[in-house]
Amino acid sequence: MTPPVPAAPRSAPPFPRWAPWFFVAPWLLGFATFVAWPLGRSLVLSCLQTYGPGTTVYVGLANFRYLLHDELFWKALANTVRFTLGCVGVQLPVALGLALLLNRPSLRGRAWFRLVFFAPSLVGLAFAALLVALMFERRTGLVDAGLHSLFSSWDPDFPWLEQYVMTALILAAVWLYAGFNMVYFLAALQGVSPELLEAAAIDGAGPWQRFWHVTLPEIRPVAGLVVLMSVAGSFQLFELPYLMFNTTGDPAGPDNSALTVVMYLYQMGFLSGDLGYASAIGWVLAVLLISLALLQRWLARREEY
Amino acid sequence: MPARLRRLLTFGSPGVALIALLAAAAALILWLVPVAPREPTQFWIFAKQHQAVYRDLLVRWNRAHPGGHVEMSLVNGAVLDQRLLSGFLTGTPVADVMEVERSIAGRAFTGPIADVGFVDLTERLQAEGLLDGINRPSLSPWTSRGHIFGIPHDVHPVMLMYRADLVEAAGIDVRQIETWDDYFRVMAPLRQDLDGDGRVDRDLLNYSAADPYGTEVLLLQAGGAIFDAAERPCFDRPGNAAILARLATWLTGSHRVSRFADINTASGQQLIVDGLVVGVMAPDWLAGTFKQQIPGLAGKVRLMPLPAWQRGGRRTSVFGGTMLALAKTSRTPEVNWEFAKAIYLSREMATALYRSTCIISPFKANWSDPAYDEPDPYFRGQPVGRLYVGLAPHVPERTSSPFNMLATRRLANCLTALVAYAEDRRVDEPAALEAEAQRQLAAAQREFTALIARNVFLSAPP
Repeated sequence: MTPPVPAAPRSAPPFPRWAPWFFVAPWLLGFATFVAWPLGRSLVLSCLQTYGPGTTVYVGLANFRYLLHDELFWKALANTVRFTLGCVGVQLPVALGLALLLNRPSLRGRAWFRLVFFAPSLVGLAFAALLVALMFERRTGLVDAGLHSLFSSWDPDFPWLEQYVMTALILAAVWLYAGFNMVYFLAALQGVSPELLEAAAIDGAGPWQRFWHVTLPEIRPVAGLVVLMSVAGSFQLFELPYLMFNTTGDPAGPDNSALTVVMYLYQMGFLSGDLGYASAIGWVLAVLLISLALLQRWLARREEY
Repeated sequence: MPARLRRLLTFGSPGVALIALLAAAAALILWLVPVAPREPTQFWIFAKQHQAVYRDLLVRWNRAHPGGHVEMSLVNGAVLDQRLLSGFLTGTPVADVMEVERSIAGRAFTGPIADVGFVDLTERLQAEGLLDGINRPSLSPWTSRGHIFGIPHDVHPVMLMYRADLVEAAGIDVRQIETWDDYFRVMAPLRQDLDGDGRVDRDLLNYSAADPYGTEVLLLQAGGAIFDAAERPCFDRPGNAAILARLATWLTGSHRVSRFADINTASGQQLIVDGLVVGVMAPDWLAGTFKQQIPGLAGKVRLMPLPAWQRGGRRTSVFGGTMLALAKTSRTPEVNWEFAKAIYLSREMATALYRSTCIISPFKANWSDPAYDEPDPYFRGQPVGRLYVGLAPHVPERTSSPFNMLATRRLANCLTALVAYAEDRRVDEPAALEAEAQRQLAAAQREFTALIARNVFLSAPP
């Protein structure tokens, strides 16, 4: 008969049991105060019409019902989707192209080019927006003045900021963020196994086939992340159009052509004082973004298996 | 050493000790930094020019009122806007006395009248006989549902500032001008291609469909409105479509006479300096801004009353505005009221304000101020103050609706859409654009009726 093995003496834990809670408490406190509580309150607020905490009326889902028939909300949503498609559709190929270019070992002055392409991301968004607005101004702006001096037939009063609002916004966003996304792609490209590329080359794959069948699958997780971040960022577009068009008296641009969902939320909440409706808009935007993130995750998982 | 204490001490790694030390040091510094004692009455303003004007008076006021000291703070307009609304909505502290710009004031009127955060001054103004002394239309933006919530700081009548040097060089006699049609006809020789590329470079009026304020100025001058006296939207009221149709022809087609030089940007101001725009709609404050910011135009510009929409019509409009308001939550209401009167009724203040900003007083008693008759060399010796004072009683009344800013932008959108329609169909005549203008305005009317109907506080009986 084997004598029972005595239990190992329990040593006292190095820290009291509550120690982890103590360490995460400041963050939890901050999260609860500045994220969880406001989120919960905004959900409640979306069912109210309010003028301060003392003057509220419960309106149920009236704010959401109104939103369904609100032409301006749909216009803002359409503008946001157009911007997102334009931005992601132009910006990501540009970012990937720049990354591929800078990933070539034979390229001289790579560090210099990296800085040049990344530099717009270092400029503050407010400053960049004003700069772009100045560049696109009629007659005195760099774009019109430059094109007119190059081609005398170019109209120096070409109305970029009046009739080509979305084009100007997308160009500005591409200039601002392509370099930033380029860095992500560059990091991913540097992780692509050279052995795989070499093996593909030995098997007779050309540059395009190597890119399509080796490089792209390898960087797909990073590409997915960049797409998700760009889509989320584009859906939250606010400062760029707000500052670009603010001096004209209407930050939403002519005929609301630069009005985005977040700008509309701001208009309703802080210009009309309708905080309940603004909260409803915020929640619809949140649901949209969560859906897009889930979709992206589902697509990524499907491709994994 | 007891095990409990020992365990507690094992907790203390150098990193934790450093964090604790830093926290203690920061707390100590914050505790030791002296906080300047605040005066019991706080006065917030957002315009730097006003600060310079009020400074001397404030020193004298504080000397004369040892128990009622007032402290003035210059606050950024956007910050003041947010602090004010937050204060009204959540009860955070706001100033006792404050200057509030028109676009901000309206937003304070969104809720029930009893919840407006400003003191209702109607009875005080009546009781002290001040109401009749104020230029009547200048009260309208600060009056909601029959209650006056502020003392007007200004009148802001609008005149037309024009390039007198160009006009004289072309031998044009501006005395022939009474209406807008006259203006565009008489000034037509100045509309020129200056660089020989076949395009007109110089236009006659600084105006754009994308400029909501310009459209509001012209609509009000023409007798149009987007809110009625009861602050209900009236985009589709008769007459608005005809005004909009006419404005569209100023902006496009063969009758085009306008180009936009944004007066808030250096490049826009440069276009005016370069003579690419002949006329600018100029309220009194803009005349002051031009004097300060564009010295290059000194002696090159003059003012004339706005051309009317028809013979015998209104020769002015109104643009911008500020009020002095008192906070309901203040603990010094009587000091606030006395200070408000001292600063706004004072002839000395009116003179100083005019001399530094060209802004004329809304108090009729101040209109006899000889400063208004002083010739101004910037405007070729015109008595600028007197010209604006002459138009002050004729400025149109305005709404105080909290939706006015959005509605004004919506009106500009109607005009933008109308201009696009005119360009698509190559329509040149106002009459041919009226039906489309009416359609655009009817859509705006529907939107704003629905938007305002949602507000249970505004639609509730008083």
